[in-house]
Amino acid sequence: MTELKINGKVHQVNVEEDTPLLWAIRDTVGLTGTKYGCGIQQCGACTVLIGKRPVRSCGITLGEVAGKDITTIEGLSPETRHPVQKAWIAEQVPQCGYCQSGQIMAAVSLLERKPNPTDKDIDRGMLNLCRCGTYTRVRKAIHRAAQMMTEA
Amino acid sequence: MKNSNMKRRTFLKVTTVAGGGLLVGCSFSSPKLMSTPQASKEELGMWVRINTDNKITLILPSSEMGQQVHTGQAMLVAEELEADWKTIQVVTAHVNEEFKRSSSGGPHHSSSQGTGGSSSIMGWWEKLRHVGASTREMLIEAAAQKWGVSVSECEAKNGSIHHLSSDRKLSYGQLASTAGKLSPPDNPTLKNPAQYRFLGKSMPKLHTPSIVNGTAQYGIDVRRPGMLFAAVRQSPVFGGQLKSYDEAAAKAVTGVEAVVPIPRGRFAFGSTGDGIAVVADTTWNAQKGLEAMDVKFVGGDTLGLNSSKVSEKLKSSLNDMGKVDVQAVKVLEVEYEVPFLHHATMEPLNCTADVSTDSCRVWVPSQKQDDCMEAAKEVTGLSQDKIQIHTMMMGGSFGRKSTKEYVKQALIISKFIQKPVQVIWSREEDTQHGTYRPASMSRFQIGLGKDGKPIQWENQIAQQSSKMLNQVPPLRWFNFDPMTYPASVHDGIIFNLPKKHFYKVEGVKMSHTPVDFGVPVGSWRSPPNIINVFYTESVMDELAHLAEIDPLEYRIKFITESPKHKAVLEQVAKQAGWGTPLPEGHGRGIAINDWFPLDEDVTVVAQVAEVSITNRGKLKVHRVDCVVDCGLAVNPDSVKAQMEGSIIMGMSAAMFEEITIEKGQVEQSNFDDYRIAKLRDAPEINVTIVESEASPTGVGEPGVSPIVPALTNAIFAATGKRIRKLPIGRQKLV
Repeated sequence: MTELKINGKVHQVNVEEDTPLLWAIRDTVGLTGTKYGCGIQQCGACTVLIGKRPVRSCGITLGEVAGKDITTIEGLSPETRHPVQKAWIAEQVPQCGYCQSGQIMAAVSLLERKPNPTDKDIDRGMLNLCRCGTYTRVRKAIHRAAQMMTEA
Repeated sequence: MKNSNMKRRTFLKVTTVAGGGLLVGCSFSSPKLMSTPQASKEELGMWVRINTDNKITLILPSSEMGQQVHTGQAMLVAEELEADWKTIQVVTAHVNEEFKRSSSGGPHHSSSQGTGGSSSIMGWWEKLRHVGASTREMLIEAAAQKWGVSVSECEAKNGSIHHLSSDRKLSYGQLASTAGKLSPPDNPTLKNPAQYRFLGKSMPKLHTPSIVNGTAQYGIDVRRPGMLFAAVRQSPVFGGQLKSYDEAAAKAVTGVEAVVPIPRGRFAFGSTGDGIAVVADTTWNAQKGLEAMDVKFVGGDTLGLNSSKVSEKLKSSLNDMGKVDVQAVKVLEVEYEVPFLHHATMEPLNCTADVSTDSCRVWVPSQKQDDCMEAAKEVTGLSQDKIQIHTMMMGGSFGRKSTKEYVKQALIISKFIQKPVQVIWSREEDTQHGTYRPASMSRFQIGLGKDGKPIQWENQIAQQSSKMLNQVPPLRWFNFDPMTYPASVHDGIIFNLPKKHFYKVEGVKMSHTPVDFGVPVGSWRSPPNIINVFYTESVMDELAHLAEIDPLEYRIKFITESPKHKAVLEQVAKQAGWGTPLPEGHGRGIAINDWFPLDEDVTVVAQVAEVSITNRGKLKVHRVDCVVDCGLAVNPDSVKAQMEGSIIMGMSAAMFEEITIEKGQVEQSNFDDYRIAKLRDAPEINVTIVESEASPTGVGEPGVSPIVPALTNAIFAATGKRIRKLPIGRQKLV
């Protein structure tokens, strides 16, 4: 039995300790906002925060995250009040939207590390894949969120 | 009213919903249901549901895959309905005659119930506005009745009906039950464009809030009580047979409940070989069970095939068509080649099915509702009225999520284990069992006259055909494969099609050989233009260079009958600063495309790309300018987004993507070896939408083809190196 702390709530999860966090989140705890895209940490659709660190949850096991603070997309703000979510809506970023949970979590973490990211910071910090091609809007939304957070 | 008296297209019927509310819809298949007040929304082919709490649910014909069709189609209904946008929610319709594209009255490239061809707005433009307007007029009549006034004294405004000469107003929710008892008009009055509140405006996309807070539900997110998960492996060699598997080893894995063989299937777009599924309590355990099983396959249609042989065979097919002796002042003789491409949707294929002896429910991310219903009927043996197809939002499709094999797998497994099950394809399975954009090769032999214009244009194309050619014999007689028919500069192919290419070129002769490699192929965003526009726009560029005429000026010489095409091309050139000085080592390339090429009314897109080559020999795309004329842009921001996304997808294909075959199997398996564009690859993109009052034409696909030759033409302009084989990849660019 592993204790997982997700979005401030404790879950007792009765699956093997070597289960990737992604699948425990989706299939056992039942939070489906975190997505499966590749399973080998190449696409970032499964990005969550462990503490403040962005982690591709398909590549980390339950044993490695037991007791740590895990934040998924559902933990930002259900009312979409987080500045990154607001920026995402203002710039109308998503197309199909499947990669966007991961994009948003990666952006939240990037802005935590670099509150005023340059385009190069964004190039380096945002490696999540998007097949629909929303990249130019992801970039704009990050700049916008940075501005909103600075003004706050 | 008897069915035989009904005019399918224009007649609407209403009924009330149990609990109060208005359903506007039409049901021809089961007239008895229409008179039942308790008829559920699933039973009626209905369009609009207005609840007494004012919430409006629009039941829309098209599938949402990121093209924002739900928002666009909702806008068409809500505009004429004069609804409060904040009260709108949407779902994709169940399977019903009413939602077949043939009943829309608008231009589509298919008659079935489904989404594709960039026709969801264009094709439903008339019908959806009609539905909204009819509903509005019934609400007005209901209010007039309640107030004892005439309808001319009432006005619909933002979700309420107002009495013009008094302060009285009633919301749609308050009027719904009364309106439900009225007869709808056959010919409602549509709004004057000057009255539009939504159409032509960038209304906020309906799904965005749920996407950014993680509550949006895709096919892969469906959860049903008692549902199990299934992992599938299909024969890696296409068409192969299941030889052996260790069922005990799979069942020894915790959580595994069943092992289910999946028989091979033959579909229009390629056969699948045998497969095997492992069913477990979680996706992870199912996948672990599959890996424990040591599955072995044997044989198959593509045994011994590899990419070298693909190229060789395409080349020999071109040679079989024969070279022509071209006599001219200047002659261009070139060959172009493009690879198989994978859709690589972020959400892999999946389907959820719940099959019992007397009912079947399917939750599926799919573009083809009719095909899903056929699959369900085939597997379960149940009749249509016992089957429900719930179309889920898709994490990308681009033409992939329109086949039956993944739907059948879920149905077969659920029927076997008698429980609801969700089949998920791993990324590896998804990559290696695609319905790929065909591999193709094209030879051009073009002779130019003294004025630089072609006097002889010989073109041969050899291309992987779809299985459709074998399954529909008449197609084989005409050598016509709808999947891969050439639409490059042609004079009507062999059918003498009425619609000719916008380039008026003399002396065009082309021939086409479909080649069957046994590799499954399908529609990859804008078939066949995604191949043919690369050929045509590259060759036009080569001819311009040969004739020593500017590439923009050269193209204009042949656009003699379409002011729209000419205007778009000239506008993008101007926007991009065509002809103005560039930094050292930079080059610009131009390309134009229209969609759907055989339609009378088309969307025209032209693009200019600016590139340079780094001193490490890598391609850097700086900027792409794009001009699109799509008639009325129903939601301009959606149009812009489709252009931006198409440009990045086309760029990705041009620069990085190829599916290669080795030992009869696809070599690529995941994003580490099937590379797609990243954020840092994205250039500055400037999109301009041409102002137009014409009816809308499609935008989902037309933007993805022209960027490919725009890039390769730009490389030539920058360095003199002509790219004739894709992907650009690691080819020398200087």
